[in-house]
Amino acid sequence: MSDARVDGKPASLVAATERAAEILSAARMPVIAGLGTDAMGARASILLAEKLRGAYDHMYSARIFAGLDVMRQAGLMFTTPNEARLRADVFLFIGKDLTKVWPAMMERLSPAEIPPLGLAHEPRKLLWLAPGRGGAKFEGLAVETLDSLDLLTALANLRACAAGRPVNCAKSARRKLDEFAEVLKNARFGVAVWSGDSLDSLAIEMVHGLILDLNKTTRFTGLPLGVGANASGVVQTSGWMTGFPVRTSFGRGFPEHDTWRFDATRMIESGEADAALWISAYGAEAPPWKRRDVPLVALVSPQTAFAREPQVRIEVGCPGIDHDAAEFARETGTIVARKASHPSLAPSVAAVAGEIAKHLGGDA
Amino acid sequence: MLILLKGGRIVDPVNGRDEIGDLWIENGRIAAPPHGRQADEVHDVSGKIVMAGAIDIHSHIAGGNVNTARLLLPEKHQNHLPNPPALPLSTAKWSTFETGTIYASMGFTTVIEPAIVPHQALQAHLELADIPIVDKGTLTVLGNDDFLLSLLRDSEGQAAVADYVASSLAASNGLGVKCINAGGAAAFKYNARTFSLDDVVPFYGLTSRQIVEALQRAVEDLKIPHPLHLHANNLGIPGNVATALATIEAARGERLHLAHLQFYAYGSEGEKGFSSAAAELAAAVNAAPNVTIDVGQVMFRQTVTVSADVLRQFNGASMAKPKKSVIHDGDGNGGGIVPYLYRENDFANAVQWACGLELFMLIDDPWQVFFTTDHPNGAPFTTYPEIFALIMSRDARAEAIARLPQEAIAMTTLPSIAREYNLNEIAIMTRAAPAKLLGLNDRGHLGEGGHADIAVYSPGKDLAKMFRFAHLVFKDGNLVVRDGRVTHYRWGKALKVNPGYDKAIDRRLAGYYDHHFGNSRDLFAVKEHLLPHADAFREVACAR
Repeated sequence: MSDARVDGKPASLVAATERAAEILSAARMPVIAGLGTDAMGARASILLAEKLRGAYDHMYSARIFAGLDVMRQAGLMFTTPNEARLRADVFLFIGKDLTKVWPAMMERLSPAEIPPLGLAHEPRKLLWLAPGRGGAKFEGLAVETLDSLDLLTALANLRACAAGRPVNCAKSARRKLDEFAEVLKNARFGVAVWSGDSLDSLAIEMVHGLILDLNKTTRFTGLPLGVGANASGVVQTSGWMTGFPVRTSFGRGFPEHDTWRFDATRMIESGEADAALWISAYGAEAPPWKRRDVPLVALVSPQTAFAREPQVRIEVGCPGIDHDAAEFARETGTIVARKASHPSLAPSVAAVAGEIAKHLGGDA
Repeated sequence: MLILLKGGRIVDPVNGRDEIGDLWIENGRIAAPPHGRQADEVHDVSGKIVMAGAIDIHSHIAGGNVNTARLLLPEKHQNHLPNPPALPLSTAKWSTFETGTIYASMGFTTVIEPAIVPHQALQAHLELADIPIVDKGTLTVLGNDDFLLSLLRDSEGQAAVADYVASSLAASNGLGVKCINAGGAAAFKYNARTFSLDDVVPFYGLTSRQIVEALQRAVEDLKIPHPLHLHANNLGIPGNVATALATIEAARGERLHLAHLQFYAYGSEGEKGFSSAAAELAAAVNAAPNVTIDVGQVMFRQTVTVSADVLRQFNGASMAKPKKSVIHDGDGNGGGIVPYLYRENDFANAVQWACGLELFMLIDDPWQVFFTTDHPNGAPFTTYPEIFALIMSRDARAEAIARLPQEAIAMTTLPSIAREYNLNEIAIMTRAAPAKLLGLNDRGHLGEGGHADIAVYSPGKDLAKMFRFAHLVFKDGNLVVRDGRVTHYRWGKALKVNPGYDKAIDRRLAGYYDHHFGNSRDLFAVKEHLLPHADAFREVACAR
């Protein structure tokens, strides 16, 4: 069963989706934002955006594009958690809060174990660049750390050291950098691990350059930890449906992608978008924009708190908990089949977005 | 509904027809001429050519690597055409929706995505589900995966290999087995930079030849209709014809399909150390009736190479244009995405272009050579009409040759070749033979009971135009294209095989995934209820 409200009053799902369709179709430039949903939810939302001639964006776009912009400007070398776990003889962890971003990281990568597919049958070497305060202490694990308040410079220095180029820094710091560089160069299958939460585009591009340099003589690759709320899965779905990632608009009748123009928050704050569909099925996130006068339809988890009650609010199930879902899994680096852990009758985003589209006429 | 296509030239090599005649359709199938009944719908196709819908056996249209290519190159597929309301996303360049729309408008009704690693299968099938109109299928990539290589290293026997192959096909819903640079991707993870047929994969002590042979045998043991589909070693390297010839020999007279052979037809003659060896290679194919090949024709334009041959892609990344690429050390094969610009005034590119055409022309039997560009690696599939023109017209070839560097053409035999494909041979190469190769008895012909997948073309001087805009296309009896334009979407099936096997291997694999990966194998299964359209699959029978 669904809990739906129109103007704060309980409503049937049919009445709520009908009202949502009215609000969204009356807008000149509606935007679908949040997009915290599984692949089928993203699919239905993008088809809805096409019908509405609106734009769509994801709540974690800033972090998505920190990595994606580097890929489409400079490229990417990357691997999967499976391969890292089985092969990595060197882990280079970069930046703070990695285990906060991915609590299961140490369990999945099992750095304490000898890599089963390694040739040498030796314990792995673990390096951590700029782990932040107390960030690299794990019981039974020897982690070499290189602290730095300036991650970008530290990365640049490390890359220069590894490539045998001159580095301008204090002698003591230089010794540590050289130590790190030696380990990296002697890796057989090294894996650099980072998160878009703490690395910006410049830093990620520097890591990419370091990886390219190391591959001139040995094997080294990357493991970006990805972003939550199925951001990678939504980007993949958007990719095959439109050719582009999120921050794409159908305003002119075909998909156009622009990371600045179709930033949902910017569109709302500037008044360019005059209605919003906010989707957050994984957690109780509310829209980040401050403006309160833009009509809002929300497909959200129960307990989502809004500064102002949306015109239409429909509670949806969580993918992988309330219903089976195809979603991007951080632990595999692929889209997987997630079985519902607590199946319920709460509707999926795909079902609700599909209903809204039906009220607009034609098939979704 | 009873539909009549009246008075067209019916070209149906399977049933030995090339004649003016009528074709009847009922309930999505091709029907016998009914007695005493009127057609509900009559299409006058006099003066037109009526063929079965075309089947593409090798086109990279879905999966993680293809999608990464889309995301890598936003600047190369900017849009400018709104789509008709009935065809959402059909004009969004390089989208799944556009892919199905363009294939259908050219008269293609079945397309096979030939490179899906098991762990990417769910995404691939989600993508295929969004390709409208055509039926599709995937080939499951094995041959660089630790489980298989360990079975072979530990000499666990051919039955275990076959069970593993069958179980992988079942989990990934594949139609056949593909092997891409057998052992090469695994060796690259141990820092190999070249890998040939008799090179040894470190850690496992296996040669590429041994892996290919084991997979080839498994496919035969399981009675899978499609032979092992092999992307051989040393793709794209001068002098690699030696590898291709050795690989044909390594098949030992057993069935083997060699993918995009053009990329292996290279000699190392001449001042530049790069020449066409296509004539020699074609002769070897002519002498090996157990072998089928597809061409992988190169055409001159911007494209992007997308391949699970991660070693090759890593080595090719320095040639990227625009200068960016993605190299993925993925589970099993991984892959690489390297944008590339084939240029008419480039010596090597001109030789490659000629090599492909030589293979088309010099392989005698149209049942043995298949029409592909290895989309998008040699060229996007949208160039097919131009390629039909090139192989059907000597004049068209001469015109094209005249624009190329003559020192490149001098390294090939192309100018000396007079052959022109006729429509019957085109129908074999793009309809009848693909259906046979994939075990799809219900299509590729216009015989009674077959799927009413039908392409009607308007013949004319402009051969490319004829094949670009089919006059009419029916998919399962449903008229989806008129005058080269798709009128509405329908959703085709994904074709798959389901060979029987000893399920004990599933329990063993479950334990392997839990222990090795620390993940459940169930995560990777393609569950039909997660796909957007119900009844998404159609099983193809295995007993040959």
